[in-house]
Amino acid sequence: MNGIKHAVLDPKFVSAAKFDQEPDWLSEMRNQAFEKSQDLPLPVFAKVNYSSWPLLEFSTKKQADLEIPKSVKDQLADYTFVNLGNRNIKNELANFLSQGVILCSMADAIKNYGDLVQKYLYQFAIDPNEDRLTAINLALMNNGTFLYVPDNVQLKDPIKLLTIQDSRQEEMFIDHTLIVAGKNSRFNVFQRTETIGDIANPAHLTAEIIADQDSHVQYNSLDCLGPKTYAYFNRKGHLKEDARIDWAMGIFNNGSTIADFDSDLYGVGSHTEMQTVAISTGRQTQGLDTQVTNYGRHTEGNILQIGVLLDSSTLIFNGIGKIIHGAHGSKAQQENRILMLSPKAHGDANPILLIDENDVIAGHAASVGQINKKQLYYLMSRGLSKEVAQRLVVRGFLGVVLSNVPIPAVREQMVAMIERKLQNDPESK
Amino acid sequence: MATLKVSNLHVSVNDEEDKKSKEILKGVNLEMHTGETHAIMGPNGTGKSTLSETIMGNPNYHITKGSIELDGQDLSTMTVDQRARAGLFLAMQYPVEIKGITNLEFIRTAVNVTRNEQGPLPIKKFLDKLKENLGILNMSDKMTERYLNEGFSGGEKKRNEILQMMMIKPKFAILDEIDSGLDIDALQVVAKGVNHMLSPNFGVLMITHYQRLLNYIHPDQVHVMMDGRIVKTGDASLAE
Repeated sequence: MNGIKHAVLDPKFVSAAKFDQEPDWLSEMRNQAFEKSQDLPLPVFAKVNYSSWPLLEFSTKKQADLEIPKSVKDQLADYTFVNLGNRNIKNELANFLSQGVILCSMADAIKNYGDLVQKYLYQFAIDPNEDRLTAINLALMNNGTFLYVPDNVQLKDPIKLLTIQDSRQEEMFIDHTLIVAGKNSRFNVFQRTETIGDIANPAHLTAEIIADQDSHVQYNSLDCLGPKTYAYFNRKGHLKEDARIDWAMGIFNNGSTIADFDSDLYGVGSHTEMQTVAISTGRQTQGLDTQVTNYGRHTEGNILQIGVLLDSSTLIFNGIGKIIHGAHGSKAQQENRILMLSPKAHGDANPILLIDENDVIAGHAASVGQINKKQLYYLMSRGLSKEVAQRLVVRGFLGVVLSNVPIPAVREQMVAMIERKLQNDPESK
Repeated sequence: MATLKVSNLHVSVNDEEDKKSKEILKGVNLEMHTGETHAIMGPNGTGKSTLSETIMGNPNYHITKGSIELDGQDLSTMTVDQRARAGLFLAMQYPVEIKGITNLEFIRTAVNVTRNEQGPLPIKKFLDKLKENLGILNMSDKMTERYLNEGFSGGEKKRNEILQMMMIKPKFAILDEIDSGLDIDALQVVAKGVNHMLSPNFGVLMITHYQRLLNYIHPDQVHVMMDGRIVKTGDASLAE
């Protein structure tokens, strides 16, 4: 296996990634990004060394269309839109069509809404020139989802996306979700990611949310990629005047992960809440960077990252609050908390504040600690076994973020996922 | 009838500052049965809380000599949770706060694990019982939706201890300074809860500095503790 540091990508991946009847403008963007990617540095995740990860070990083998497994079929009813590998296997857009909402695969979006996609794709949120991985993700994008909610449309029901990495065979999986929130729109998106099959394929999942003036987007995600998947995530919001994005993300992958979650507060009065919960188990390494950049005046960004470590795993939280000169009256707060359930685990919580403006309120709190023995004793004194008490303390610890997940069914999925991860913990038995 | 018997109990704790082991209990003898109400009185630092924490099984307290038995079974080899499931309950002096777990979820879990072979209490029955007990303790329904003890006032925490006791229905409850920090109204409410529990199947051991509590919960026996030993035992008049 070749580590990412020395990986040299063959241009054939770019042609393999192209969509059917792809317009020239996109191919051109890909080629430029690919060209550029050779010279750009890899992104830095402080205190995470991922140079040996096979994140760029792609395959160009032609995919055979495998049948949809029962495990996936059973879940279809719970989602609005489902992509299995590079195939869209369910779309209930009809429920939202009357309001002018567009929801389709990236391949269809390029074909049918080319102008709209061109206006937003890698234009506002993620900068393909930022680093080698952003460039590669544009150059090799071969799956994805496009969601467009027009001005003044407020959706009551959440849009639920299921994005599945099909690792039943060798497959390149570079997925891009593009979400555009029109002026004064308001909606809720849930995206779950998972892996089926046990071939070792890397996964790249990026998402851009462009939130226009006065829009309010709630983005919830639950990431449960497979144990053999090395994953790179990049989710970024671009906020215009008085826009708001609330992120609540559960990072429950079973393989090693690097993730970059960012919000750029450009518009005056824009606001983001970025909340992450993560569990690392086994020998897994997860490095999560969450960054808010305040460009506009009176913007507010709050970061909350909470994580639990078991076994010999590693979990690193970097919280970055950046305030640009001129962003008067801005607020940047962050809290990073890590709970270690195993003496062999390695956890770190690093708050980083980069402030270039005087008239701001900024603060941070960070902690890395063991389970609170007094809490454990109290619960056990009511008859709860140590195992149950510990699970409850951990759930409580993570519950601060869970309680902010607006869709009850998603909250339940997250709780179930946490329970499953904790039950597999040999230390608590 | 169940019996809780403490015999010649010697207990040491490790001092937090110099890490040296220090003997707190120096031979405590106490026997109580369900259906009885006992009170232990005495000044600060005589080992009253040490006795209650040791009976419950707090790992910070080490038995160096003597024994604690519940119906003839030696408790010293049992973990805290096993003792609780065997029928012991400690209303703590300083209940801990746990964010992220609702009071309701916690109490329901505790009720179900202490029911052992009877299986979980059906939710409807549980909620009816909870409502009834909340009523007795003048507590609002909202208290059960809040996180466990989080942001509760001192008085709310004490009431919540009594609520848990009423829901779990132990054989023996030890109330460690349940009266401290309570005004007279709150004290009456707490006492009402305890008195409501009194039955031939329930024994209570109150630990207090003050006689005041005993005006509302009448003890059958009062023990006076001094320097790690029970030095005197008598009826309620001893408290006066």
